[in-house]
Amino acid sequence: MIELHQASKTFANEETGHFVQALQDVDLTVGENEFVCLLGPSGCGKSTLLNLVAGFERPTAGHLLFEGRPVRAAGPDRGVVFQDPTLFPWLTVAQNVDFGLRNLGLDAAERRRITDRFVSLVGLADFARSRPHQLSGGMKQRVQLARVLALDPRALLMDEPFGALDAQTRDRLQDQLLDIWERDRKTVIFVTHNVEEAVYLADRVVVLAPAPDGITADVPISIPRPRNRYSEETREATMALIGVLADLPCCVLPSRRAGETPSRQPAITKPG
Amino acid sequence: MSTSPESDCRMPEAHLRPTAQASAAAAPALCLARRRLSGIGVLTAVGSLLIPLALWWGLAAIVMHLRHVAFPGPGETALRFIELARGRLLNDATVYRHIADSLQRWALGFGLAVGIGVSSGLLLGWSRLLERLSMPTVTVLQLVPGLAWIPIAILLFGIGESATVFMIAVTALAPIVINTTAGVKGVDELFIRAARMMGANDRTLFARVLLPGSLPHLLSGLRVGFANGWRVLVAGEMIVGTGTGLGYSIIQSRWTLDYAGAFVCIAIICAIGLLVERGFLLPLERRTVERWGLARAG
Repeated sequence: MIELHQASKTFANEETGHFVQALQDVDLTVGENEFVCLLGPSGCGKSTLLNLVAGFERPTAGHLLFEGRPVRAAGPDRGVVFQDPTLFPWLTVAQNVDFGLRNLGLDAAERRRITDRFVSLVGLADFARSRPHQLSGGMKQRVQLARVLALDPRALLMDEPFGALDAQTRDRLQDQLLDIWERDRKTVIFVTHNVEEAVYLADRVVVLAPAPDGITADVPISIPRPRNRYSEETREATMALIGVLADLPCCVLPSRRAGETPSRQPAITKPG
Repeated sequence: MSTSPESDCRMPEAHLRPTAQASAAAAPALCLARRRLSGIGVLTAVGSLLIPLALWWGLAAIVMHLRHVAFPGPGETALRFIELARGRLLNDATVYRHIADSLQRWALGFGLAVGIGVSSGLLLGWSRLLERLSMPTVTVLQLVPGLAWIPIAILLFGIGESATVFMIAVTALAPIVINTTAGVKGVDELFIRAARMMGANDRTLFARVLLPGSLPHLLSGLRVGFANGWRVLVAGEMIVGTGTGLGYSIIQSRWTLDYAGAFVCIAIICAIGLLVERGFLLPLERRTVERWGLARAG
């Protein structure tokens, strides 16, 4: 469903004139209905990879296919949940959810019905008329989820969506996400640097290291669903994954706490 | 509101400095209007009104004593105001006619400036190329003193309404363009990405993301533009041949020696300025920027 062939992304730093290689020759295939967690330290290119799939950036080399077609621009078939809340502050919760529906050209009654449904789905019916700045961090992320789910995307691209939340809220939102995902099993790419989160959520964990290393491990998680985050199985899978990470070059080991400094800078090469 | 009135009064954009200087005269009046009344606030508000009145009265007394000219004090001006308000003619027209004509010219000029300024600001903020091409012109535009537009306005439109409207529009335009551009450039890239991801086309992006997103800056631009246009009204009406308007009446007092009448017009100009700020710009800010939780800190 999502295919990257030798995809690379290089950014030019306008001030220094240096090029930063964010991704180099990455091969990745994500199947239909698969829940893939992209695990790696800060600065390893996880977000860049997601931005390529989302269509926010174009690969500087290689190919990127979504459902067999090259990705040219962002669109509602790939719903993105950002780490930072990107709800429009000038719209209410319901209007934020309605924003994308308007672009689809649906009539008002239909839009209202869908908006109500998805605002309720994430448990925010009482806050439909609130503004984003009146919501907590967790609630904002739920609205973000609602506004992309309302567009019925083919895939969900989630960029550390729970990274900035406290542990309790994060656990609750993980469960809520799995609940929703179990119903229609959309394809998900979920970026995180949290090993426990990856094991709890994913069918498959892809470990990404800073360029030029790229994907250094691809680990299936075969724990049956619904999962229990405290079960022996989950702990074993987590330990196994940490074991895999430990065998990789030292700097690849993801930090377990949010907000840590990157363990390694992306490769910098002179231009030309 | 936790912000102090002083901090509300600062000019937000460093590159607006020339305009900020020019509008320094209007700033205290606008700030006065933005202060919320409550307890001590009422006292300070009354005090801030009494102090200029006392200074005016003192100045009038001193000038009359030293120069033996009839410098109208607050009392005389108030009396003249009552006369005029009852319908006594000032330069062959009622004061209401003068007010209506001035307001109409200003509304037309300011309306044009808002229309052109906001739309070109949106484009300039969106396109680096357009911004690089046109921003120097806009910057130069705002450095031209208001009065310097008189010959240009006359050459372009002759003597008449259009020339006045042009002067108001052209002095209000630059700050609106500059601030709207800054506002659009300040809209978080993530908002634009989110909008695109949800299928927004260019029109939706401009109307529902870039425009509201730039509103905090845009409002600053409207404030400065409004003050610029309102102040240039006097200069603009100097070249209007129709013989009405508050600015015209002030200039005309040179010949009629009706200085009290001129003072009444000055007071009306100030009052209308305050009214627009309190009755239009401030509510607009409350209803939008503050309600969205976007108010600039401190």
